[in-house]
Amino acid sequence: MTRSRGVVLGAASLLTVGAGLALGAIYLSPARAAVGPLPAVGLSLPAESRFVVGIDVRRFVASPLYRRYSDKMPVRPQAFAELQERTGLDPERDIDQVVIAGQGPTRSDQGVVLVLGRFDRYKLSRAIETEKRGVTWKDYQGTTVYLFGEAANRRSGAAAFLDDHTIVLGGRPLVESVIASHASGEGNLRSNAKVVALLEQVRPGSTFWMVGDQSLMDQMPRSVPAPGAPMSGGPAPMQSLQLPGLKSMIVTGDLDPVMAVEATGEAADVTAAKNLADVVRGFVALAALQAGQKPELKELASSISVSTEANQVRVNARVPYEVLDALQPKPRNRTEGAEPEAQK
Amino acid sequence: MRDTSRPLPFARAAGGVFDLTLDGLVWSRRTFWMAALLGLPVVFGVLYRMVLASRLPPQLQPFDLYGTIVVFYYLRNLVPLAALFYASALVADEVEAKTLTYLLTRPVTRGAILVGKFAAYLVTVLCVTLPAVVLTFFIVLTGGGSHSVSAAVPDLFRDLAVLAAGLLVYGALFTLLGVALRRPILPGLLFLFVWELLANLPGYLPRLTVTAYLRSLVTHRPAEEGIGELFGQVLPASLCLEMLAGMTVVFLGAAIWIFSTREYVFDQ
Repeated sequence: MTRSRGVVLGAASLLTVGAGLALGAIYLSPARAAVGPLPAVGLSLPAESRFVVGIDVRRFVASPLYRRYSDKMPVRPQAFAELQERTGLDPERDIDQVVIAGQGPTRSDQGVVLVLGRFDRYKLSRAIETEKRGVTWKDYQGTTVYLFGEAANRRSGAAAFLDDHTIVLGGRPLVESVIASHASGEGNLRSNAKVVALLEQVRPGSTFWMVGDQSLMDQMPRSVPAPGAPMSGGPAPMQSLQLPGLKSMIVTGDLDPVMAVEATGEAADVTAAKNLADVVRGFVALAALQAGQKPELKELASSISVSTEANQVRVNARVPYEVLDALQPKPRNRTEGAEPEAQK
Repeated sequence: MRDTSRPLPFARAAGGVFDLTLDGLVWSRRTFWMAALLGLPVVFGVLYRMVLASRLPPQLQPFDLYGTIVVFYYLRNLVPLAALFYASALVADEVEAKTLTYLLTRPVTRGAILVGKFAAYLVTVLCVTLPAVVLTFFIVLTGGGSHSVSAAVPDLFRDLAVLAAGLLVYGALFTLLGVALRRPILPGLLFLFVWELLANLPGYLPRLTVTAYLRSLVTHRPAEEGIGELFGQVLPASLCLEMLAGMTVVFLGAAIWIFSTREYVFDQ
């Protein structure tokens, strides 16, 4: 064997060992099977989910958006301090990710939330058990499920620890379904091929993201008021725009260094995609036309681009924080507000 | 007894040229420097684990860092450059050194010579590139625990396949440049760093590049600045695979045809 072949053999051996280790890692951690940005535990979400939303709390808290605007909310520090005192939980520090899944806006009782982070499980459980009225708890497949409002004969909310790092919140049937699929690995989101396919297209590392399939899109309004149409009154055929239906929607966003949001919708065909893109462009142009009254709207409009690719419409917005600041309502001067009263 | 009036069988001839070229490629100064460049992320990975991991902002997770290395360092820069410096030299170096005559006078077809050389190129760059990616993967991602490794394993295999495809298609393209041009490096660099920028533009222009198809096949989408972020497209995987396979066949076929028919005249 020549020295060159020895080198080739060595490299091939290294590759083989690496591949073996990688496959071994999958074998030893089968719960993984994460899809796109969804963590492994997220696959325990119900298979019937029509949309999934994710927020990377660590990125969000570290973003300029949070740094800029969190200080302007006076209730935040006090609320967080109280929460930390009662439960040991500091959301800014301890929560890594929040994942929400549901069946659409008309089925608000069918949502479930996974909160991933580091929790003082004892302190949090104690806080729930002792400090909230109407809380009962029961064992479900070895997991304690806290039920809220069960005694009041309402649809009870529920919460449970899936493990030391994951809390599940939502309606009782869904929470129990998540616990069951987490334990058995069956009947979970993995079997929802459409949503899984959409999740695989989400850009990893986004601060927030959302995917929704056709059944969710079908529940969305199909018409919007035409530019210039009155906002109230009965629907007039000439004053509303019919939106082409979407088969799916993917939204991803980042907050650093600017607020960047990308929404990709899949329309029924190329014509529908172009129609939808034209509608969106119309609204962007309308915003630009308002620049005479509010100059920052022109900057906002120029930060939005709309493009089509086959039957997909992509709306991309990259909004600098200076523009967001300019769009914030100006604090009212008390003396200005008092003037009309004085004139009366 | 072999009929000496006829050339050696194609496979045997290509195998002979492969062995000869592999020795020359593996033990060359070019490979030393290329291995150093391709292995740089391994060193960076060690540095990251030992020093940087605790100092970087929390939003930079090990998987994001690995994805950035794969996309920006390997896929967009080092893989095309490795292909350019190796593949364009397969024939151009022989012409430059006036040693091509010795090859052409052997009883082997010109097609077999080029195929043997291309196979040696491919094996050499794969041996230098892929182990470096695997090492980088394990060094960077084990910082996030064993769970983070297992979560990214499918991406590792995908990345290895895409990088191998990149070396194949860029290699075929630059082999074509190498047999068609006397000095292929400058046009090759212009192609990589000017023409390939079309991948950042809107509409159908990215489809005129090689990199757009390769970028679409990896799942890493690191944040970008400028027009790349605004217009960056992800092309359908089936289209990417078809186009990459088609380009490889066309470029390599054209290179073999030119090499087989071209008369090389050396300066005295």
